[in-house]
Amino acid sequence: MLPLAAIIKLAWRNLWRNYRRTLIMLSAIVVGVWAMIFMNAVMRGMVDDMIRSAIRVLPGHAQIHHPLYRDDPSIVNSMTGLSPELENALAQPGIVGWSARLRVPAVIASERESRGLVLLGIDPATEAALGFVPGPIVEGRSLEGVDDRGLVLGAKLVERLETGLGKRVVVMSQDPQNNVVERGFRVVGIFEAELQAQEEQSAYVGRATLQSMLGVGQSLSELAVLGTDYRDLSPWFAGLQAAVGSDVELLSWTELDPYMASMLRVQDGMILIFVGVIFAVLSFGLVNTIAMAVFERMREFGLMQALGMRPITILYQVLMESFLLLALGLVIGNLLAVLTIRPLESGIDLSGVADGLEMFGMGTTLYPSLRIVDMVATSALVIVLGLLASLLPAWRASRFDPIEALGKT
Amino acid sequence: MSNNWRLAWRNLWRNRRRTWLTVGAMVFSNVLLVFLISLQLGSYDMMIESTLRAFTGHLQVQHRGYHEKPKMRRSIPAALDKAQALREELGLESLAARASAFALASSDERSLGIQIVGIEPDYEPLVSSLPGLVGEGRWFSGVDAEEIILGKVLARNLKLGLGDEITFIGSGRDGSFAAGIARVVGILDSGMTGLDRSLAQIPIGYFDDVFTMAGHGHTIVFELESLDQVADYQQRIEQFLSTDSELVVLDWDTLQPGLRQAIRADMTSAWFVYAILIVLVAFSVLNTQLMSVLERTREFGIMLALGIRPRRLGSLVVQETALMSLLGLSIGVGIGWMLAYYLSVAGFTYPGMEEMGEKFNLPAYIYPEVSLLSMLWGPSMVFLGAMLAAIYPALRLLHLQPVTAMRAV
Amino acid sequence: MSSIKCRNLCKTFHQGQETITGLDQVSLEIASGEFVCLSGPSGSGKTTLLNAMGGLDTPDSGEILLGEERIDLLAKGALADLRLHRIGFVFQAYNLIPVLTARENIEFVMQIQGLHAAERHQRARAILEEVGLEGIEDRRPAQLSGGQQQRVAVARAIVSQPSLVLADEPTANLDSHAATHLMQLFLDLNLQHGVTFVIATHDEGVMAYARRLIRMRDGCIVSDESRQAGSAAS
Repeated sequence: MLPLAAIIKLAWRNLWRNYRRTLIMLSAIVVGVWAMIFMNAVMRGMVDDMIRSAIRVLPGHAQIHHPLYRDDPSIVNSMTGLSPELENALAQPGIVGWSARLRVPAVIASERESRGLVLLGIDPATEAALGFVPGPIVEGRSLEGVDDRGLVLGAKLVERLETGLGKRVVVMSQDPQNNVVERGFRVVGIFEAELQAQEEQSAYVGRATLQSMLGVGQSLSELAVLGTDYRDLSPWFAGLQAAVGSDVELLSWTELDPYMASMLRVQDGMILIFVGVIFAVLSFGLVNTIAMAVFERMREFGLMQALGMRPITILYQVLMESFLLLALGLVIGNLLAVLTIRPLESGIDLSGVADGLEMFGMGTTLYPSLRIVDMVATSALVIVLGLLASLLPAWRASRFDPIEALGKT
Repeated sequence: MSNNWRLAWRNLWRNRRRTWLTVGAMVFSNVLLVFLISLQLGSYDMMIESTLRAFTGHLQVQHRGYHEKPKMRRSIPAALDKAQALREELGLESLAARASAFALASSDERSLGIQIVGIEPDYEPLVSSLPGLVGEGRWFSGVDAEEIILGKVLARNLKLGLGDEITFIGSGRDGSFAAGIARVVGILDSGMTGLDRSLAQIPIGYFDDVFTMAGHGHTIVFELESLDQVADYQQRIEQFLSTDSELVVLDWDTLQPGLRQAIRADMTSAWFVYAILIVLVAFSVLNTQLMSVLERTREFGIMLALGIRPRRLGSLVVQETALMSLLGLSIGVGIGWMLAYYLSVAGFTYPGMEEMGEKFNLPAYIYPEVSLLSMLWGPSMVFLGAMLAAIYPALRLLHLQPVTAMRAV
Repeated sequence: MSSIKCRNLCKTFHQGQETITGLDQVSLEIASGEFVCLSGPSGSGKTTLLNAMGGLDTPDSGEILLGEERIDLLAKGALADLRLHRIGFVFQAYNLIPVLTARENIEFVMQIQGLHAAERHQRARAILEEVGLEGIEDRRPAQLSGGQQQRVAVARAIVSQPSLVLADEPTANLDSHAATHLMQLFLDLNLQHGVTFVIATHDEGVMAYARRLIRMRDGCIVSDESRQAGSAAS
């Protein structure tokens, strides 16, 4: 058996015997690998963005409600407070934070127009800390505490209501006794959100203010919990689940938004398919190249066997040649991908198709997400598949009778 | 000249493995392209149609400025009469008038702010797919009936069932107080939570009465047989209404800008994939043809020495490539067509589509579009790419010197 | 150590419908250290016999003994080992691996044998000097003349310390000058290292170097004559 270093040396030099053919095949591999990684990064960035957006809208990685709240999101189905077990569970290490809110359907009326919307009584500090705010404040200020008596609205809603900063509006909602309660609020802040729907359908007030307006004491509609990684809730979810009694319901974001959950699953599948397809087209060329190289060297293989080399070493030689070709292509392809994606990571501007993207729940800027894991996985896949594809010509080369091979000129 | 074609054909089969592998790459790509493009076009059609058929329609007549700011007073005078006049003028039954207002709706237990839409019971089913989705109860009994149909989630949130009464309060067109009581006669289940949460429809005659519309409406919706007819109808409607400077005709793209943009965004990513495939196939062809030319250097040298012109040799290579590409195209289109045709009857689905369908009111199956465009566009691009790849090898032949060529190995 | 005994070797080839007799009851004995030429027209069976003796091919029937070992009974793997350690081949052309330099070609078999780098380099250096190729050992075969290439081939054959060197028409592609030099080299190596040389050829000039000349025709040995130590025939 030839030592590995010798096999590598032979394979490398043989690659460059027909440098045109090798260069063309190499270019094809580079383009293919680049495309795989590029597409992967773009798709990941897209889905990541979509899911983060969805999580910001829900909000949270998990939510706790009154068991009937989801079917009937009325003030009647509120939680009266947190049990000590729950408070403990919420302090688990995997949980970044949580925010309690009151959330009721309401009607908002300006001088000119009325609209139905969702009114949120929040603790601005916890909401902001967890990133649950829908967007930046473009006019005025954000809420300053649970007792804040001001109202923060989305820009689109302000437009529809034909009102403005500093103006008064009337907010009407239902208390637990079914009475309509109304209160005047001053618009203290206007926000813009990436998703237009959020701008039009939500308004924010201080939680204590809303609680007192509805006369519900310390009642809460929902508790939104944020962990460290949306992909993996296991460190803390079970702990929460145990602490949640039968009087409240705990749901993960995948249960709250099954569409997004399926997006995550579908994405992995799609990437695999894309890589597979690209590789399939490349493999035709790869097998062709290897087969051509092998065919040209039959006599040489015969000579080596005459000199006492075992047939399997021929197999290794051919596979090594294929391996070096793939590895070189992968290195260059990966490098090219990093060089082209890095500058784009600050965002690809898609405002030209902003409305369309909103339909899918995406923001207007696309941030490709280049992860080492993806690059390594893609490269490993290409090497394995490539070697498999080269197996047939390599095996056939080793099976050739040395005498026949020697006889060929 | 036909001699050359026969020679080209025979030359292809001198190295069967290489030719078949290259053709194989083309066939694979072509089948893929036919499949993907036909699926893509089919899904776009489906997306557009199903979205438009739900509510928006293909065209709408509105008061100028209503689309940007939907105020009650921006109305269409004598909407019902106008609708009827348009029906006669265009010979089209599938158009209907609507009116819309905000109201606070209350049941015994709940109150919510909602948009109430007044519709023509006889014609609304022709322009919208929603009437067909009334799962419980029945359709309206007449244009003046004091009845209401609610979306399933809305009914649930209001804690209303069939036969229950609902009160609604709002402002009329003239600013006056508007109030009405309607009986729930039907509950609609569209499968889209967004729609089911907000849908509330009453007959337009009753709407007119409650909201003091004095015969005014807000939109006239047109449902056409296919998207191709939109431009034509738009022109005819505009002509009919030319005397009325306050009314405008809006097409679906203006009404739902997100739709076309979503398609455009999807198309861009699709083109990226197609481009990669075509480039990879071109590399494959380049490699094959270049090797094929280099191998025959001596032979070509002899032919030159015998007096054959270099241009003839160059065109030989081009002809060989053309034949090979035609083979790849015909087999690819053949298989692709069979696949697309089968799926256009049986429907195509992949995991994740069901959730998507629920979210966007799309069916769980896509039916590929089998048309000349979808069948041939992709493969033609591959053909073009392959022919371009043949340029370099052909050019090399033009510079060949007979004596040096004949000395080649 | 390295004597060869062949007893009643038979080999037939099938080409389509035709049957060709390669070897027809061939028997012979070659002692260790001999310098033998096999001559005959093409189709006489000399290449077939050479391949059989070298363990490249197995006869249909008969026995071949290399030393005391029955090599006709060996399996493919064992034959490869045999060729690796005990046989050296020099072919008419394409003897060398094109992508390796002359020195690397010479070291190639030693690499397969598993010798350490130091030993390989030392032996290679020695043989390069012996065949007169110092200075050009870093050239690839394409940069060497035909004669130089054959010299590298025989250097490689000798350096792995085989029992036997088999050469099949080694001078067929060389001009007479280079052929003479090559044959002289063969002779010198045979005398210097005591390795048995068996050379198949139809070139009279080559045959003149043989100390023993075996003529073949149609798969049979027709004559077997010994002569004195070969000298350059002009």
